[in-house]
Amino acid sequence: MRCEECADKLDRFVDRELTNTEALEVQLHLEGCPDCMDHYEFQEELKRVVKHSCECDTAPAAFREKLREILG
Amino acid sequence: MAEPAAQTAFAEEALTHLDTLYRGALRLTHDPDQAQDLVQEAYLRALRYQHSYQAGTNMKAWLFAIMRNLFWDRFKGSRKEDVSLDDTGDFVLYEKLRDEGARPESDVLDKIAASEVVAAVDKLPPLHREVVLLVDVEGFSYKDAADTLGVPIGTVMSRLHRARQQLQKSLYDYAVESGIVHAGGQQQVSQQ
Repeated sequence: MRCEECADKLDRFVDRELTNTEALEVQLHLEGCPDCMDHYEFQEELKRVVKHSCECDTAPAAFREKLREILG
Repeated sequence: MAEPAAQTAFAEEALTHLDTLYRGALRLTHDPDQAQDLVQEAYLRALRYQHSYQAGTNMKAWLFAIMRNLFWDRFKGSRKEDVSLDDTGDFVLYEKLRDEGARPESDVLDKIAASEVVAAVDKLPPLHREVVLLVDVEGFSYKDAADTLGVPIGTVMSRLHRARQQLQKSLYDYAVESGIVHAGGQQQVSQQ
């Protein structure tokens, strides 16, 4: 696999959207290509940081109770 | 109308997805009160149309679809045209920094506060923001995200890619402004 093809599949690799065969091909390329591995690790970390940052917001307890009464 | 017991069970299951809906509504409206109004209306609508929900399918995706459709109908006047993202070209934070001998993920991303990451997400155009919310924050598959948003999977992928590029640009701008990196991709200076 060439670096361009790896870069093209990186979003889907990070999002676990490749087939097993495609994911294995990307994995093998990453293990032999430090540049692409660094890029992958950055994308993985960016996704983790976005998830962690946005997950801090949760519904207020009072709102949850209000909904429970309305829907109950 | 469903039997009371069935309605209660439906409501209980639906409420297990409250945090996902509230987070999504908050990121879409940028206002806690509007977010609560939106989520409450979404739940009432879901209860009204629960017969259209197929048991065993993805209730979280179904509820999110109701909520975001209400958002576009109510807050955006049914206009789904998006503000286009600035063309970031090949710019990505990673590429800006990788030639500087640093590790962008540990030297830069780790130094950016969660509030700044949320601010960068909030700056995305809504149609791009909701894809990031579904895929990156809530862990939706591309297919579930596409079904929820009513768009092809290819649209999910392209919006996600553009959104991530834009996120990197926003975070890079913040990193420069806050002194984490020097403009022009120079060596990181912060030793926090």
